Parts: sequence; structure tokens; C-alpha cells
Amino acid sequence: MSIVLTNVSHIYDSNSEMSVKALDNIDLTINDGDFIGLIGHTGSGKSTLIQHLNGLLKPTSGEIIVDGENICEKKYPLKTLRQKVGLVFQYPEHQLFEMTVLDDVCFGPKNLGLSSEECRERAKKALEMAGIAEELYGSSPFELSGGQKRRVAIAGVLAMEPKVLILDEPTAGLDPRGRDEILDSISKLHDEYGLTVILVSHSMEDVANYVSRILVMNKGKLIFDDIPSKVFMHIEELESVGLAAPQMTYIMNRLKSIGMDVNTDITTIGEATAEILRALKC
Amino acid sequence: MLKDITLGQYYHTESLLHRMDPRVKLLGIVAIIIGIFAGNNLIGGLITGSFVMILIAMSRVPLRFMLKGMKAIVIFLIITVIFNLFLTPGTVIWSFMRFKITMEGVRLAIQMAFRLIFLILASGLLTLTTTPNNLTDGLESLLGGLKKFRVPVHEVAMMMSIALRFIPILMDETDKIMKAQMARGADFESGGILKRAKSMVPLLVPLFISAFRRANDLAMAMEARCYRGGVGRTKMKPLIYKKRDYISLCVLALYLTACILAGIYW
Repeated sequence: MSIVLTNVSHIYDSNSEMSVKALDNIDLTINDGDFIGLIGHTGSGKSTLIQHLNGLLKPTSGEIIVDGENICEKKYPLKTLRQKVGLVFQYPEHQLFEMTVLDDVCFGPKNLGLSSEECRERAKKALEMAGIAEELYGSSPFELSGGQKRRVAIAGVLAMEPKVLILDEPTAGLDPRGRDEILDSISKLHDEYGLTVILVSHSMEDVANYVSRILVMNKGKLIFDDIPSKVFMHIEELESVGLAAPQMTYIMNRLKSIGMDVNTDITTIGEATAEILRALKC
Repeated sequence: MLKDITLGQYYHTESLLHRMDPRVKLLGIVAIIIGIFAGNNLIGGLITGSFVMILIAMSRVPLRFMLKGMKAIVIFLIITVIFNLFLTPGTVIWSFMRFKITMEGVRLAIQMAFRLIFLILASGLLTLTTTPNNLTDGLESLLGGLKKFRVPVHEVAMMMSIALRFIPILMDETDKIMKAQMARGADFESGGILKRAKSMVPLLVPLFISAFRRANDLAMAMEARCYRGGVGRTKMKPLIYKKRDYISLCVLALYLTACILAGIYW
């Protein structure tokens, strides 16, 4: 399924003096199978943008077309949209409320009106996808570790069987190991289960290692939309909006400036190793 | 969604009333309440009415804001007026079937409406011109004498300021959790009372958990800074009466005497 945004603007509190323009004329197409990183400084409009994609917020002006249908129309079934576009908020573990892990993950499918048999089946599948061991299904979600709680919360959205999965800062507040594990699981969801994934983050390293397309936002505007290596070429522009390129890109730039013959469109450690070895051989 | 709820509705602007010591303002409210009941006739009413009106003008708070607060009591006001109008015995001036309006009823209805409106206006003026923190500080200082009777005045004031401080935070949190559950297909808007009450569970459980978590964090942070309650505690910005506060107190005394005299001699 594809999501097409044309001229989307969103203004908070539009009829008071405190109005804020959170989105400013966004044009964007999200294709089936994309793995997108959405980055931007705090307050750049990332969270506002993703809430438009599943109809939690309505654009002040502009159109959002999902699979050929305008979601701003009154008759459009928002529940179906929210099933198709799964949104995992920041600190999703704060939304857990049931007595057991399995019951909590069942909440989404139950809202879709499925039988309890089907709910359990879906929940189990989602928990497996999110990497939760089976012996934890019966325990209370509040007894789990931070990383496990987050996985359960992500499973809660996966159980809706969405086609597009949006995650808002899924690694916030996790230790480096928990972060890598979560990001690996997310990338597995894209590679193995074929989900379209949008990863919201302000960490360049996170994004650079996994995604195939990067959107950069600043003050409500979309300033870049390209593959990672191309986006990270604009180091100065990125820095001017309070962002940074991945460390590897900086290293390659430095190497080039001291006269080494290397490409600078490099974002991950793996690529950097290969490129430096290649340059040294010559 | 929850933006329409305004509590502790402070209106930020610059005026003498905003700068005034909160204790003077609190005493002012007490004076106006006494004034309204003591000056229980036309002259007393005129004095109180014009006094409150002058204060409103001085506060520079738009009248539109003041009237917003009145909306909540309109129904209450109407009921009070109707009851007084029809149920007061006395000289009948108009009757229809079993309903009669009496001279005394009219008088009482006007009196009651007047009292209610000016009470609300005056207390509204207090919250509109005083920040919640200032208000609790003032209250703590005014009730300080009760400490001798082992009333934990400081602790109560601290609880009040924390509670007020947490209202916007918890509203934000509610909004977030609501959205997160809506993303999982929750429906808070449709269905009968029972279904709606049930749909609140996924909202209330996380909200309570987060409130407890925040309370815990705050308690920990306060203890880490050696907070031990009110004994021996000094303030960073102590309340000090200034010249304008003494003048205001004199004006209040003058107003109160006028009201009482009006009540006695007219």
C-alpha cells in the first residue's frame, strides 16, 4: 500500500495567538516495502507528521491519500486505517495495562472484533516476531525488564497485522545492547516479514545502519528525501539544523582531506572498513 | 481533545493587582465576602458592586475572560433566582394558577443573584491575577499561625502546589496514552455508558501507573535534595509587604467599614 501526502500543513491551536505551524507544505510518497528513517531535531514536526499517517491528527490543509482514498473524508473508516498503519509511540511500554503479556497484546486484535481464538493466535505470532520468549506470555507486563516491556508494546501493535509500521524513537532510554537488539528485530520485520517501516530517530548511527531512505525535517519542512549516503553528503546543512552525519562519514571526510583517495558517501563501519582497505591497497 | 479544560486559570499580564502580595488579595476576598453579607441593602450593594468593578478594571484582565468563569454557574444562578422568586411568602404582585411572585421574592432573588455574581467575580479575579504558586505561598503564610496548633500548614500548601503543577502534566499524559490506545484500535467515543466506562480501563490503568511513577520520582528527587518539610525552611522569594500592599490594606479596611456602616444605618 502507498501513502501519498500532498501539500500537507498542520497548525496547532490555529485560532489562538499561540498557534504553531508544525507541518509546512509536506509533499511525500511512501511506497510499499520502504525502510525509511525520519530524522529531525526536537520540535521539527516528526511526531506530528507520523500521527497524520494513521489519522490521529487531521491536516489543517492538504490531502493524504492511502491506497487511492482520501483519509480526511468524513466517511473514511479510521479504524481500518489504524489497523493498516501501525504506530508505536515513544516509550510505548507506558501504554501496557493488562494482567498478562498475552492479554495485553490481544487488546489490538480484540478491538478489530476478532474471536478470542484468533486474537490469541495473532498475539502469539506478534510476540514471536517481536522476540519475546514463550515462557513470558503468562507473566505480568510490569515485571519485565525495560527492553522486554518495549518489545511487548511493539508486539501489541504488530498484532494488528499492519502493513506499515511506524516507530517513534524506539530506542529512547535503552542501553546500547538493548538498542541494537531492538533495531535488529525491527530490521528483521522489514526484511523477513515485508513490512514497510518508518523509523523516527534523532540518532544518525541508528538510522544509517538500517534504512534505505532518509527523510530530514526541520521546522515543519521536509528538507531532504534521499538514500542515506546522498543525504549525509550535506554535512553542513545537517549541522545547521542541529543534526549530524554518522561518525563514519566524518572519518571518511577527514581521510579525504589529508589526501587519502576514498569515497566520502559512506555511513556504516562495514562500508568504511572495505573502503579504507581498498584505498590502502592502491 | 482535553485543551478546553482550564484550571488555575492565571491570566498573564501586567497590573497592580498582579504585583500585589497574594496575602493582601486573599484578605481582600475575605473582606469582599464579609462586605457582601454585611452591607445587605442598596447602598451596601452599590459600594461592593463598584468596588469589584473598579478592581476588575484595574486588573487589565479582559472582561471576556471574567465572564467565561461565570458560564459554569449560570444554571445554578437561574435555579436560585427561580426558587427565590416563586417560593418566598409575602405580598403577591403577580400570580398564575399556583405560581405567585411576591414583592419579597423579587427582592430576595435580586439579592441572591447579586451576591452570587459578585462572589464568583471576586474569586475569579483572585485566580486570574495570582499564579497558583503564589496563591499557595500566600495561603501558607496567612495560615502560618495554625502551626502552633500542630496543623501541618506548610505540608498542605506544598501538596496543593504539587497537585496544581501536575494537572497539565497528567493531561498531556492522558492525551498520549489515549492516542497510543487509539492506534491499537481503541474506541473512546462510541457505545453506551457501560461500554464507554469499560473502554476507560486501558486509559486509566496506564495513567495511574504513570502518576505513581512520577510521584515516586518526585519524592525521590525531593529527598535527594534533603527536603524535610516545613520546619526551619526558608524561602528563596519570601513574601514581603511593600508600600502598595499597606495602601491596599487601608483601602480594604475603608471598604469594609463603609459596607458595615451601610448595613447598620440604612
